[in-house]
Amino acid sequence: MLARNETIFKWCLYGAATFLCFLAQGAVFQRITLWGVIPFLYPVLAAVVGTLEGPLAGSIYALALGVVCDSLLPDIIPCFYTLIFPLVGLCGGLIAKGLLSAGFICSLVSSAAAFLLTDSFHCLLLWANQSAAWEAGAWTMVREFCVTAVLVIPVTLLFQAVFRKTHVYD
Amino acid sequence: MKNFLKGHGLWVLFAAAVIAVALAVMSFLSTTSSPLANVAGVLSSPFRSAYTAVATWFNDKQNYYKDTTALEEENAELRQQIAKMEAQIRQAQDDSEENAFLRDLLGLQTQRRDFVFENARVTERSVSNWASSLTLDKGTNYDIAVNDCVVDATGNLVGIVSEVGYNWCTVLTVVDTSTSMGAQVFRTKDLGVAVGDFSLMGDGRLRMDYLPADCQLLGGDLVVTSGLGGYYPSGLVIGSVEEVQKDDSGASSYAVLVPEADLDSLTEVAVIKSFDIVS
Repeated sequence: MLARNETIFKWCLYGAATFLCFLAQGAVFQRITLWGVIPFLYPVLAAVVGTLEGPLAGSIYALALGVVCDSLLPDIIPCFYTLIFPLVGLCGGLIAKGLLSAGFICSLVSSAAAFLLTDSFHCLLLWANQSAAWEAGAWTMVREFCVTAVLVIPVTLLFQAVFRKTHVYD
Repeated sequence: MKNFLKGHGLWVLFAAAVIAVALAVMSFLSTTSSPLANVAGVLSSPFRSAYTAVATWFNDKQNYYKDTTALEEENAELRQQIAKMEAQIRQAQDDSEENAFLRDLLGLQTQRRDFVFENARVTERSVSNWASSLTLDKGTNYDIAVNDCVVDATGNLVGIVSEVGYNWCTVLTVVDTSTSMGAQVFRTKDLGVAVGDFSLMGDGRLRMDYLPADCQLLGGDLVVTSGLGGYYPSGLVIGSVEEVQKDDSGASSYAVLVPEADLDSLTEVAVIKSFDIVS
């Protein structure tokens, strides 16, 4: 159990790491198109922090991340990421808790689940909007995950570094 | 010494006088320098050369330093001048592009006097794989509002403003899934609804739905905004027909449209801030 100021310090560090990832996404990845899609880091962030911090803290972090994403990215509904990212964080936390111990493989599996959830939600909203595109959506999801999967390694390393720095006595 | 001068002073004086007279006579008779001066000159010559060499070296160094300093200053000044001129060239290129854009826009303005335009630059393109968007560098500070139409210089519809901040706005392009607007085929006057379709978005296409089942559209037919409902201005070119297909029910057709605006390479656009509603 971390003291209050240590907890604040930890989440400040997570915030700084997230900010770095946002910078990388905005400055670099957004301008690269591979296989017809751009690498998309945000679901990976929610998933990786979920695997490290557990279901509850991961969901809360993902909720905050979703709010930030919704304020920056246009989407079908204004609260798209706020709704889906807590589920992604929860899913990442549950995978790390019950299926795989936190690490690269766990991050990769959680990221796959993150893209599955996020992009399925996209497809669901398109269907609700009477412009269903299940096949195109699934294909986009596969390409998006494949293009982003390689970035799971640096993201995991970055957030693991924060986790180790702030959980010295664990 | 005193005793020596007392004893031999006269002799010394005499000898000196003789030597002096002899030297005077020799130098008078000689065509070259006197032997004494010659000896002195020969002895001092290497020293003079050395002094001169050292002085020349110092002078060279001094001149080199002065020249280098002056050249460096001149170089820095020239670099600044080059940088300024390069900036002017860049500015001139920008101005030239803007000028061309405004000339084109002037043509559109002449055709549609009711339009009030605001030029804007594209600062960012699509930020996710599920939306086709552009971010512009102007917002409420230039009276841009949500649902304003955005066109390129020749009046082709680019998209609709979906979100506005103080000095930015987000435009969802015509191929985005949120697009839904009244459209009309220019040649046949068939009415329909232009909608974004995710399956077509990746290829930069959109659909025109609710066309009559027996519509006689040809590839390349222009599709423009109908202006019905007064939401958007009429007559803005959305795109051209690529193919026509019957929908699943068979009761109506839909056309796949290719946007006329080149969405991938737009750098400048115009936002239509107000227009006359044609009833």
